[in-house]
Amino acid sequence: MRYEIRVDGHLSDTLAKAFPELGHVVISGQTILFGPVVDEAHLYGLLERCQSLGLRVVEMRQLPE
Amino acid sequence: MDHLDQALRTPLTLVNGAAGAGKTLLAADWAAGLRQSVAWLTVEVGDRRPSVFWAYVLQSLRACGAQAPGAVGFPADATRVDRKLLSALAAALNDRDEPVVVVLDEYDRVSAPEIAEQLEFVLHHAGRGLRLVLVTRTEPLLPLHRYRAAGELTEIRAAELAFTPEEAVALLGLHGLSLPVHAAGALVDRTRGWAAGLRLCALAAQESADPELYLKEFEADRSTVADFLLAEVLKRQTDETQDLLLRVSVLERFCPDLANQLTHRTDAEALLVGLHRENAFVEHLGHQWYRLHPLFGEILRAHLRVRLPGLEPELHLRAARWLRRHGSLPETLDHGAAAGDWAFTAGALVDDLAIGQLFTGLRSDDLAQLFSRMGPEATGLATDLVRAARDLSQGDLDRGLAHLHHAEEQLADYAPGPAHDQAPGPAAARLSCALLEALAARLTGSPVRAEKAAEAADELRQEVPAHLLEKHPELTALLLTHLGSTRLWAGRFDDARAALSAAAGTPGGASSVLPREESMGHLALIDYLNGWLGRAERKALAAVSEAERLGLPQPSGSAIGRLVLAAVAVDRDELGRAQALLDETAGLPSGTHDPVTAAGRAITTARLLLVRGRTRAAVEAVDPAVSAAVTSPWAASHEALVASAAHLAEGRPERAAEVLQGVCDHQPGCAVEAARIQLAAGRPAAANDLLDSIPTDGRTGPAVTVRAALVRAQAADGAGDTDTARKLVAQALLDARRERLRRPFLDARTWLRPLLATAPLHELAAGWLTPGESRRGESRGGESRGGESSRPEAQPSPLVAAELSGRERDVLERLARMMSTEEIAADLYVSVNTVKTHLKSVYRKLAVNRRSDAVRRARDLRLL
Repeated sequence: MRYEIRVDGHLSDTLAKAFPELGHVVISGQTILFGPVVDEAHLYGLLERCQSLGLRVVEMRQLPE
Repeated sequence: MDHLDQALRTPLTLVNGAAGAGKTLLAADWAAGLRQSVAWLTVEVGDRRPSVFWAYVLQSLRACGAQAPGAVGFPADATRVDRKLLSALAAALNDRDEPVVVVLDEYDRVSAPEIAEQLEFVLHHAGRGLRLVLVTRTEPLLPLHRYRAAGELTEIRAAELAFTPEEAVALLGLHGLSLPVHAAGALVDRTRGWAAGLRLCALAAQESADPELYLKEFEADRSTVADFLLAEVLKRQTDETQDLLLRVSVLERFCPDLANQLTHRTDAEALLVGLHRENAFVEHLGHQWYRLHPLFGEILRAHLRVRLPGLEPELHLRAARWLRRHGSLPETLDHGAAAGDWAFTAGALVDDLAIGQLFTGLRSDDLAQLFSRMGPEATGLATDLVRAARDLSQGDLDRGLAHLHHAEEQLADYAPGPAHDQAPGPAAARLSCALLEALAARLTGSPVRAEKAAEAADELRQEVPAHLLEKHPELTALLLTHLGSTRLWAGRFDDARAALSAAAGTPGGASSVLPREESMGHLALIDYLNGWLGRAERKALAAVSEAERLGLPQPSGSAIGRLVLAAVAVDRDELGRAQALLDETAGLPSGTHDPVTAAGRAITTARLLLVRGRTRAAVEAVDPAVSAAVTSPWAASHEALVASAAHLAEGRPERAAEVLQGVCDHQPGCAVEAARIQLAAGRPAAANDLLDSIPTDGRTGPAVTVRAALVRAQAADGAGDTDTARKLVAQALLDARRERLRRPFLDARTWLRPLLATAPLHELAAGWLTPGESRRGESRGGESRGGESSRPEAQPSPLVAAELSGRERDVLERLARMMSTEEIAADLYVSVNTVKTHLKSVYRKLAVNRRSDAVRRARDLRLL
């Protein structure tokens, strides 16, 4: 599965390193994290990581293969 | 705050918001102003296991004085929590006049779904006695809609926690910044009223040259809020402070001395006091201990990885070393494991004499999980000890023994070299090794090895610090249990009893519950083998209820107590009950390798099958299929007896007598059975010799003496001496009645029936062995048909393991008045579910399954 997670605001490079398994791009006031997600547990883990870093998730969706 | 006051009127309150929204602060402020007692529990990351969670809940309830200590037990097993414990807690809360407020902070850390379920159960049954406040970042897994619909939920969510522009102005004012409300409005928009964001904002602005301009720039910036603000505030700290903050981010909590260890400086105290005064980053936990605000901790760790890459394991190791010196074992182990330094981590466990915790107590599962991450590359004495303990506890005998052997080789080479803080001290390691040796001896049925281990342990106990032994009663208890079990296997009952009694008397709560339960079960087995059914039953029940009292899931890890109960049930001809007890033990992991348990199960199963006439299956079942260094006299004798009885039943008396050669005549219980078979095989002289060989020193109980009397009676009867036979049977009936020992008489049915029909014997047997007076005629009719159905219906023995509580008695009384569950609920002003809970425990305590049986049993026991 591949997912993209869109969070509000520009993510600094330092903080982006908290998601080493994902790539990121910054566009128009938002940051998109994207990459492979191993399973459901990983998915929820990512959401939790977003929360513990104080990120506001705007959108989260599975990418077509 | 006003809204939170409603929490006193609803059973459940939810304070739900993002990290740094000020939830904890709000709840703490509110709780401080309450008149009621408040139990406050901050859920910790390690509380994944329900039992650990509930242990903390109970502890915090006790700490706030809301609950009489000891009224409710303590969970003892790491994996599951017994419903009974929760029912007891709910009942205790329900009985309160004034509700107790329980605040669970950081409830989002609770991930186990069963905790939510258990919380709901307690909340439901505690009635008005509990006001639960959950402070959480995530929606709890409770059926909130139901509480909401019933008006039983107070919710404080992000919208209410968010700052209004007016409040933001006030907050900034506290930091010496004045801002017009409309400007604050923009700021609130940008942070969405997020308390931590606003505070960081104020801190950053305070440090800047032009605060107002700074705030404007922040509004215009498009970075993520926390990321940006934290970097901003961090940037403005001195290098020392930044370094300190980054390094302590690997810790859950820290004090200045520990922080100094991580920075290799000495300035932590001043820096921390300063940070706390500025209300930045750190929270004060009291007694010099601090923690990072959870949100900042996470971001700081991200910064640490970027700025000081590769330093994390080193920091964990330094923290672990400090914690080990300061005596906090669980945290030491956590950080040691995080550092990946297994020699150190295992060494800390061994040095603390805590290796027994891998087998018993609340932490056993956590420890097993922690050490499961240990790879094969880790070497050293302590790691091999831990590996051996892990494999032995999981029943992997071969690997466990190999690791243990490896560890022993290293111990032999151990030279007290220069102080090396990773190698465990020789005494502690040797003592741990002795414990594992004793276990290995037990599992391999090797008494010599066990005695050697016990002797070594006795000497080593003098060499290790006394306070460590006191801290770990489970170590000695486990060792004595293993020793006793091995002695029991070898047939040395008196020596076994000495060791097992000492283990059963070990003080301490949850930590040593497993050895206590096991040793009591073993003591019960000794009584059973000596023929004391009543004593065996009492001890076995004590073993089972010891585990139950401490909240161990039923059936618990040790099968031995239940096996003894099953064996007693076979002797009492309560076959259904025996089968049920055997089935319960079937799923237990223990006993597959343990010779004593395996033999106990094999013998009981085989005897049950014999009684049911399935001789072939019995012969197959009686082989315990364990390999042991020495043969056990009683296990081997019982095996021979079953084989012999099978031959006899299938019409081969010669073969039956032959097999009896294998029976050890030092075992009274076996000798008497052998005598019966000899007699049945037509060799009364051999039977008599066997009976005479049984010592009459008062050690043997009714199960032996009654059988002996019956064999003599049968011999006398066969010789035509009916008077002697009648006298012997009368004595046997008298002795057996107290123990409800029916099996020997049923086995002797064929020749005994005419005797029992005569007047004095009939009276003695009536009521417990044969049906009572009123049903005499009817039962005679049945007897003459000779079918199994005519046998006196075996009454299961009354097993009142625990006294009925007052509430259970109330329910029972109403049950006797033929009231329905709903009527009882209405009459007692409790919910139907509560009544059902009480009913279930009444059934359990009375060992019945139906209401009519419960009432009858209660009348029999004069409870009504």
